[in-house]
Amino acid sequence: MTAIIESAAPIVVPPLAKSPGYWTGVWRRFKKDKVAVGAGLVVLAIILMAVFADYVAPADPTRSSMLRRLRPIGTPGYPLGADELGRDMLSRLIHGARLSLFMGVVPVFIAFVFGSVIGVAAGFFGGKFNTITMRTVDVFYAFPSVLLAIALSGALGAGITNSLLSLTIVFIPPIARIAESVTTQVRSMDYVEAARASGANALTIIRVHVLGNVLGPIFVYATSLISVSMILASGLSFLGLGTKPPTPEWGLMLNTLRTAIYVQPWVAALPGAAIFITSISFNLLSDGLRSAMDVKG
Amino acid sequence: MALETHPDRGGPGTPLLQAKTLTKHFPLGGGAVVRAVDGVDFAVMKGETLGVVGESGCGKSTTARVVMQLIPQDKGEMLFDGEIVGGKDLTLKEYRRQAQMVFQDSYASLNPRLTIEDSIAFGPTVHGVSKAAAILRARDLLQRVGLDPARFAARYPHELSGGQRQRVNIARALALGPRLVILDEAVSALDKSVEAQVLNLLADLREEFGLTYIFISHDLNVVRFISDRVMVMYLGEVVEIGPVEELYNDPRHPYTKALLSAMPSMDPDNRTMEAPLTGDPPNPINPPEGCRFHPRCPQAQTVCSKVKPALVVTASEDGTRRAACHMEIPGSGHSRAPSLEAAA
Amino acid sequence: MLSYLAKRILYVLPVAFGVSVFCFLLVHIAPGDPLTSVLPPDASQAMQDELRKIYGFDRPLPVQFGLWLLKALQGDLGTSIATGRPVAAEVWRAVGNTLLIALLATVIGFLLGSFFGFVAGYFRGSFLDKFASMLAVLGVSVPHYWLGMVMVIVFSVQLGWLPPGGAGPGGSAAWIWNWEHVSYMILPAITMSVIPMGIIARTVRALVADILHQEFVPALRAKGLMDFGVFRHVVKNAAPTALAVMGLQLGYLLGGSILIETVFSWPGTGFLLGNAIFQRDLPLLQGTILVLAMFFVGLNVLVDILQGLLDPRVRRR
Repeated sequence: MTAIIESAAPIVVPPLAKSPGYWTGVWRRFKKDKVAVGAGLVVLAIILMAVFADYVAPADPTRSSMLRRLRPIGTPGYPLGADELGRDMLSRLIHGARLSLFMGVVPVFIAFVFGSVIGVAAGFFGGKFNTITMRTVDVFYAFPSVLLAIALSGALGAGITNSLLSLTIVFIPPIARIAESVTTQVRSMDYVEAARASGANALTIIRVHVLGNVLGPIFVYATSLISVSMILASGLSFLGLGTKPPTPEWGLMLNTLRTAIYVQPWVAALPGAAIFITSISFNLLSDGLRSAMDVKG
Repeated sequence: MALETHPDRGGPGTPLLQAKTLTKHFPLGGGAVVRAVDGVDFAVMKGETLGVVGESGCGKSTTARVVMQLIPQDKGEMLFDGEIVGGKDLTLKEYRRQAQMVFQDSYASLNPRLTIEDSIAFGPTVHGVSKAAAILRARDLLQRVGLDPARFAARYPHELSGGQRQRVNIARALALGPRLVILDEAVSALDKSVEAQVLNLLADLREEFGLTYIFISHDLNVVRFISDRVMVMYLGEVVEIGPVEELYNDPRHPYTKALLSAMPSMDPDNRTMEAPLTGDPPNPINPPEGCRFHPRCPQAQTVCSKVKPALVVTASEDGTRRAACHMEIPGSGHSRAPSLEAAA
Repeated sequence: MLSYLAKRILYVLPVAFGVSVFCFLLVHIAPGDPLTSVLPPDASQAMQDELRKIYGFDRPLPVQFGLWLLKALQGDLGTSIATGRPVAAEVWRAVGNTLLIALLATVIGFLLGSFFGFVAGYFRGSFLDKFASMLAVLGVSVPHYWLGMVMVIVFSVQLGWLPPGGAGPGGSAAWIWNWEHVSYMILPAITMSVIPMGIIARTVRALVADILHQEFVPALRAKGLMDFGVFRHVVKNAAPTALAVMGLQLGYLLGGSILIETVFSWPGTGFLLGNAIFQRDLPLLQGTILVLAMFFVGLNVLVDILQGLLDPRVRRR
């Protein structure tokens, strides 16, 4: 019989030249994808703009002026015009990026964490636990996402926290479903069986053998929800369920400028264009990640 | 912390693993049940290789998974070197250090995100070996299975060929220092030339580490090459078991005969003209009454469809050969059965 | 087939039950008492208690749910707190209007989406393919309520071709099938059609590319069938899946129309929901969402069953 006898001296493992790992390949493939890289740069620019809004914005986004209401694009001092209260549109758009990005990323991220835990557990443990969990998930899945978000926000009442909560609840079921289905596939792989045969407990197997193989696909799916989340969050604000004035937020700006479409139509349409550009950049970035990470489906 | 050696409790020449009436049924819903493994009894002696053969669907792989305890049996128990597997003297975790398994699909049985050495080192770390010691052991084992650690240890599975991957899987199985290794169609997916190399490696490792093998395959030639004894399974049951050469030269069960006659032979003088298997293909969902082989058996008689034949000693004085056929049971009622007087 | 049908229906019952539990609880996750919105600020304790009894809010939750479900099954969705009218009547009228727009949008989206998807899949890798794929990404990325606004700006404000909103003279009650009224449907329907268009284009593109790769297509060509023959076979093989996607999309539109209806002041369920939210009319909110969700669940089952009828392979899943 063989045995490992540990010597008193510390064991030195001579390092070996590692093969280029999975992520090196992902990065190499991603770099080649011009559209995805471009979208990534736009997203980066928007994030930087939001973070440094105080330095980038030319004016105070909340300072109103009754004399300069609804100025057209190109007015001196108001490069993108002025809104219904005479506030500088450019500054409001720059500051508005903060909340819109926040509402795009944060609910998806929280839902990613909870949805992954629920889905991976259901997929790995299977059986009755899986049935009960996935049936509950199916109930939420029975609502179109817009309807669910509005139902929850409508019941909870307006406000950022409630919007955040509603959107998180909206995104947990779809993420849990994807997580469950990829985990079920991985669980039946022989390497998971081999890990069980080596006596490892469920948590160790999930940590070492399951997560590394399921988090990628779940993550890619989650990134594709960021644009949905942004659009929904702005939609809630548009209905008056999200942020309250005078906070600059793209959906709310669109709402308050709705009546101005007869006076300054293109100024009124600007916040929506900002949502559109951000959302399409996130979608293209997500598509690029999907092909670079070689995720099927 | 280090892996301790496993003392040989029963001494050489005693069974390493005894399976007693192992049973595994899979409910299908609607009352139907797949009788994948149905009351299987066998023993594997220390240092021997027990071959397991049978058509696909006969329960070979389910037997392997139950023996490995990847799926729990419904009935029956296993003794490992005299101790109940999963009992208080031999916990499941401890048993899994002493019994390991190699799977058929060399790619699916390696985590694509781990390097080769990390995959091999995983088992020992689970049992408390330090990461560094486990990695060193992994590299040592790679050397022993014929892969240069400097070239292969830090590679990923997709960079290796099927034969190389299967060597890695063997190294992974050996990493815990097991006494029993279950090889479930471990060479079946390999090219013939690679298969031969891996078979030789397995034979060498058995000598080097004093291993005991359960070798499952549908390839009768390969089983003959590596096994000491052979067990033939049909629809979840053992129909015949015995030393390999005796069984191959003088099969007693009609199913074994049919299997062997269907085996391609290199020797033109040795080709049988006997009819290959006919009749209904075996279906483990609704196995026939009596002897499960009787609908396809050329010698079937009334008794065969009524009474299930026991696995009885046959054709040998020392009791090493057994078969489950009414033609081997004295006074069974089959016209070709030996008479009771002759037996007495 | 019968067992497939039974299985689908058995599967959907617990989901439908769960949906009703969720809708019931909506009123109770709302902060405060559902009565606060109707009570005058100076309401006496006695008056509060009396109203609470009338609305049944004094009983334990499971009892309230049982009573509510029993009534809902009989078509009684309670009374609107804001208007005092039965919720069911309001919802059904609005559902009709929403369905009108949603159906039109689905048809437009399906036709255009199939066209783009087909062209993209047929000429895979070409400029047309890239163009159609881009269109699909645009379709899922665009905020639909904003697209609605842009439509109004272009076609109503700037060009003056179509009305900016509403349901025509006299509202939906005085609806007649003439150009004057139909013109009010065009902008909302086109806006809404963008939602399913991208997804249908994506699906059809994948289907067509997949079918063209299968072995029977070269075989057809080898048999001397002209491109039209190949085209017919592709359509025949792609149609069931594409139609299933279309059915599901109709369901999404029923729920997803809310924002677009708000933009165009179209008197459908979205408009109703908007009012319910604005006035915190929880019974109306609850009833509308219940009806929409049940429509969606029912439509899903219907699509599954139809798919099972068309394609025997689906039944074995």
